[in-house]
Amino acid sequence: MDTNTVTNLVLGIDTGGTYTDGVLLEYESRRVLANHKSLTTKRDFAIGIEEVIEGIHIEDPSAIRMVSVSTTLATNAIAEGKGKRVALFLIGYDPDLLSRFQLDGRLATPNFYFFDGGHDLYGREKKPLDLPGILAKVVEIKDKVDAIAISAYFSPLNPEHENRVYKAISSVCDLPLVLGHQLSTKLGSVERATTAALNASLLAVLHDFIIAVRRAMEKRQIDAPLMVVRGDGTLMSDEFAARTPVETIHSGPAASAIGGRFLSRRDDALIVDVGGTTTDIALIVDGQVTVSEEGATVSNYKTSVKAANLLSIALGGDSHISLGHDNEILLGPERVTPLAYLAWSYPQVHRQLKALALRSWSQATPDWLEYWFLLRDPADLGALHSTREQVLVALLRDGPRAVPDILKELKLLHTAQVGVPDLFRQEIVGRAGLTSTDLMHIEGRYDVWDAEASALAWKVFCQFQFRDPDEVRQEVWTHASEMIVHTILTFLAERPLQLGDRQRCLDGVDSDMARWFFYNSLYRVHPHLDTSIRLTQPIIGIGAPAGIFLPPVAEALHTELLLPEHHQVANAVGAIAGSVMVEEELLIYPQLSHSGLEVFGYYVQAHDERFEFEELADALAHARSLSQQRALGAALRSGASNPQVTVEELTDGLDTYRIRAKAIGNPRLTR
Amino acid sequence: MELERIDTKRAYDLIRERITTLQLAPGAVIDEQELAASLDMGLAPVREALKLLVHDGLVLITPRHGILVSDLNIPDLDQLSEMRLALEGLSARLAAQRATADEVVILEALRREQAQTPADDSHRQFAIDHKFHEAIARAAHNKYLAESLERLFGLSQRLWYLALPHLGFLPTAVEKHVDLVEAIQARDAERAEAIMREHVAEFYDQVRQILAKEESSD
Repeated sequence: MDTNTVTNLVLGIDTGGTYTDGVLLEYESRRVLANHKSLTTKRDFAIGIEEVIEGIHIEDPSAIRMVSVSTTLATNAIAEGKGKRVALFLIGYDPDLLSRFQLDGRLATPNFYFFDGGHDLYGREKKPLDLPGILAKVVEIKDKVDAIAISAYFSPLNPEHENRVYKAISSVCDLPLVLGHQLSTKLGSVERATTAALNASLLAVLHDFIIAVRRAMEKRQIDAPLMVVRGDGTLMSDEFAARTPVETIHSGPAASAIGGRFLSRRDDALIVDVGGTTTDIALIVDGQVTVSEEGATVSNYKTSVKAANLLSIALGGDSHISLGHDNEILLGPERVTPLAYLAWSYPQVHRQLKALALRSWSQATPDWLEYWFLLRDPADLGALHSTREQVLVALLRDGPRAVPDILKELKLLHTAQVGVPDLFRQEIVGRAGLTSTDLMHIEGRYDVWDAEASALAWKVFCQFQFRDPDEVRQEVWTHASEMIVHTILTFLAERPLQLGDRQRCLDGVDSDMARWFFYNSLYRVHPHLDTSIRLTQPIIGIGAPAGIFLPPVAEALHTELLLPEHHQVANAVGAIAGSVMVEEELLIYPQLSHSGLEVFGYYVQAHDERFEFEELADALAHARSLSQQRALGAALRSGASNPQVTVEELTDGLDTYRIRAKAIGNPRLTR
Repeated sequence: MELERIDTKRAYDLIRERITTLQLAPGAVIDEQELAASLDMGLAPVREALKLLVHDGLVLITPRHGILVSDLNIPDLDQLSEMRLALEGLSARLAAQRATADEVVILEALRREQAQTPADDSHRQFAIDHKFHEAIARAAHNKYLAESLERLFGLSQRLWYLALPHLGFLPTAVEKHVDLVEAIQARDAERAEAIMREHVAEFYDQVRQILAKEESSD
């Protein structure tokens, strides 16, 4: 490295579903100096991050100016129900209305309570606040929950009740409190309540995560600001992230998109990130990831969090290849460890596969290709829940075992009877099987583990179906690219297309036109009608398997496929390539007489502050300059260098306006 | 304070708790490395936190003996009680004059919680008592007063833990709180101040007796 020039080094880390990636990047030249991959440890993400920080080659830790992480932690914690216990206080909400529209199941916590209070559409108090009732409830439940979320009706227009409740509750207990109006200026009351509840349930999770990353940095003597990627790909400071963990929803895929753009230097493209577990699709327009304005949805919870608009399917390099009930070939949705890797780690698996390939047809069934193995040894067998779990762990201590073998030992007939989901969830026992990673080994396109083991397993898999291995392999790739094309199509068209049996459709048994159009465009079967689907933007491929999965996809969509250098770790690059962004939104609405007929003037509601004006023009002007100042100040505090502010005016109708100031700048890297 | 690193804040809270609950005894030597390891945290946040605790008067950094937990003794107790008596009295007086309706609701809720909590659950009683004093200080609407009281409270909390094995929670304290809330509600500043002074004096008298007994039996 040329030591005469000043280099700004930055470290980007992405914790994905399968791998945790790290890159060391020279910021100005966009040069990737080093990268490292380690397995994501879902039970504690910090372990994988520590491994990456320890494993990456860093000559001079003191030259690192920034560390930035994107994480699926929040999304995963929500999906797996691993957040903390939350009480949600709904002030001025109508319980009957909520249950009539069955909205109460969408609040992200079963512990919600209704109280009098709240404001109306014009910020006027609807009902006096029932503070004694609220405090009595707090005293009753405070030992049974980990955090309290508070959402009052129309609080973005008038947060007075939320603020009073905050002061009162924090006087009687030490639980973390989350206020709806601080997370969203949107008026949708259910989404705001859900967002507040999710945020409260994630506070401790993200807090612990940030402290773990900081500790790992300190071990390597890295003393630099820590940033966290938001769901729209922009960056926020760790301190801000610890307070608003919901904003990290979708941060992983958003970072991939940003990284793809950064490496390819293209401002308009479709980003397809093929990971180990999932394939994520996002769109870059004018250099920005498109965000869904209406708010992100996670595990059926609709939130008011602005996040990247994306579509994700359970298809990746480690998707399990198996046979379905009608002997059809299935790809995914579960992710398993490739056999090539298992046999490479445990030579006895190689020998067993060799023996299996010599067995007669009836004795070499595909279920012998699924193995269970010990990922880590629980030091104390007694800590396991059931004796079944203890027996299984003891059995696997001697090495991986094929599933039929395990069933025989346990004297069971079917895997469903084993009943040890906790062992998989806690990453004590892992599952291995045939994956597309094995096919890549067979074809010599990827060659790090035991390719011969993959070939043996594939032979068994195909022989069982009396089919030619090459033909079946081709079918798997066709199936994968069809899945991805279908996802791209439904993502961009923003409407679902249910796929059916391809042959039935092309033969005319299935009369659905949309499906016929789809299949005919992919496989050109009609003698007289040529249909095709053309993507007008290039595809940027990200992730190690992208080079294998995506060429047929680009071909089918008549577009160019770009695989920029280091696209394998573009997700981690994206964690540092994002801009620092702060948004400040103020609401302006009329001050009405009690009858509602007369307008006295206008309020400018700036989070907790409110200003009164007689004329609308003055109110708007004040809101513009105030939002601009605040956005600029906050961006500078968050570590943006020379942030640029844009101010936007939107109307909600009903004489109500929003002024939105956005301050964006590159991260400040100088000390 | 807003931009303080979150790990520093956590280290501060954890170490402060260890000191006030006497897990780190008065006068004990602090080994930064050991402390960081036992908190499962990095060295940097622990160092920052210790500096903040010096400011609170709970930790001493000396050139010759390194880092120490501040000592505690009877003269300390006397000086502390003088200050708290005066300031808590003032706090109650101002609260009676200035408390908002919401603040009276808060005091009432704390008083009720205290009445519902078993008298022999001394840790919880103490925690509620702390909240009660904080709430009154907040109702006094003087931030310097509130800050001074919080600092003094942190120091006297150690005395309470020292005396705890010999001290049941003062049953009269609960009654005192009832009277105090009533006085504040009635805007009776004189009475609020008198009750508060009596309540605080009683606490220190008990602690003083226990500590004196301890010292003479040593």
